[in-house]
Amino acid sequence: MKPLNLIALLLFLGGALWALTRSDRVVRGIQSSYYSAISPFLRTGSSLETHAREFLSDTKSAKTLEVELRQARSELNRLALIESRFQSLEAENNELRKALGFKQSAGFHVIAAHVTRRNPTTWWQTVEIDAGTNEGVRDHMMVLSKDGLVGIIDRTNPCGELSSVLLLTDEKCQVASRVEGSPEVGILCGHRGTPDGEALLRLRFLSPNAAVQQGQRVFTSGRGGVFRADILLGTIDSVEKGALDSEALVRPSVNFADLGAVFVVLPADS
Amino acid sequence: MIRFSIATILLLLAAFAAQQFLSAFTGLHHSRILLVQLAFLCCAVASGQPLMLLLAFIGGFLWDAQCTLAPHPGDPAIYTQPTESLRFGYSILLFAAAGYLTQVIQPLFRQCKWLLTTALIGLTLMLYLTLERGLISFIRGELQIDQPTFLQILFTSLFTTPLAPLLLVPLWLIARACDYDDDQEPLRKHHR
Repeated sequence: MKPLNLIALLLFLGGALWALTRSDRVVRGIQSSYYSAISPFLRTGSSLETHAREFLSDTKSAKTLEVELRQARSELNRLALIESRFQSLEAENNELRKALGFKQSAGFHVIAAHVTRRNPTTWWQTVEIDAGTNEGVRDHMMVLSKDGLVGIIDRTNPCGELSSVLLLTDEKCQVASRVEGSPEVGILCGHRGTPDGEALLRLRFLSPNAAVQQGQRVFTSGRGGVFRADILLGTIDSVEKGALDSEALVRPSVNFADLGAVFVVLPADS
Repeated sequence: MIRFSIATILLLLAAFAAQQFLSAFTGLHHSRILLVQLAFLCCAVASGQPLMLLLAFIGGFLWDAQCTLAPHPGDPAIYTQPTESLRFGYSILLFAAAGYLTQVIQPLFRQCKWLLTTALIGLTLMLYLTLERGLISFIRGELQIDQPTFLQILFTSLFTTPLAPLLLVPLWLIARACDYDDDQEPLRKHHR
């Protein structure tokens, strides 16, 4: 090997070793600097992708839109009916809570956001949303949709207008969960190798003889300090019993293939 | 040499900027055009080993800065088995490995055999993606590349590879203009 090549190789290995031994805090600093530098491109790229998606959705045929409008109207009427019922139930619930001396549970402070980019990285299940530090979004905040838990804020962009959300379908997003109507608790996370449209989640560490059945709903348990309790995650699809523990496949309540508007949950004191 | 080195570094940085405009094809197994990796491989095939290693370091470092996820913020008492992931900086080594592979096909580039060079760059990209996914899978407890992942790798390589000549030809011209010679035979002789 030529001396110059050898020196280059040694320098390269030294640099790689330096990078591999950086702490998480330093890595977040490096990422922040990188995204500061690249944010003009990121914003333009996000807006282009949004425009492209809107254009594609606009080209739906008039007939499809008419059917959708009719369905939306009937859905609106149904929801209006449910809302009026819900309001009366909520008032009744509050009255009962007061009567029993319970402290009223704190409501969610949320801000609405739109998905601007899907899967910006090769392997991780992430999306970018158009809400950032300017709106009060911080790392590790919960993200919901009208159907349930979507994921967690992984990173806020230094430009203050964008954030990256790690989706529930990614293996790295773990959620402490409980099964409705049973004492079973476990950890829910993404399931590898399932296409987006039929994404399933894995509920691990259930007891060996877990008495859970298909169709039972799974909620956040509130343990572990990241996710609030009682947020819908999905329904049990199947159960595999093992010698030491059981595992269930869960069908998510959120349709991740068609994610549009989401809500970032802010702390109760904000 | 300095002028060519600067040109390749600028090309790699431009690829990072352009990558932000390329979204995933969600209908095709989330495949995408990987401009950064393609730019690196094309530069690696045109460069000597020291420059290739410098590009591998810059490319891998920035790619990890773009893609690395934060560790799980939950209470370790509850989340006792966090999902393992590769450390920040692993892409530097992967880029270098892919760079060394592409240097094998340097003679084809010097002889302006663009079609063969492009095909082999596509193969290297596929190997790079398979290795990366295999490592991620292995560190999580099992070495597994399932069908959707394989299709994602395949389509990503198929979409990215045809763009290679758009980078290879300008790189060859720049190398010629800069009279770049990576300690081997000058490019001009082969062109004749």
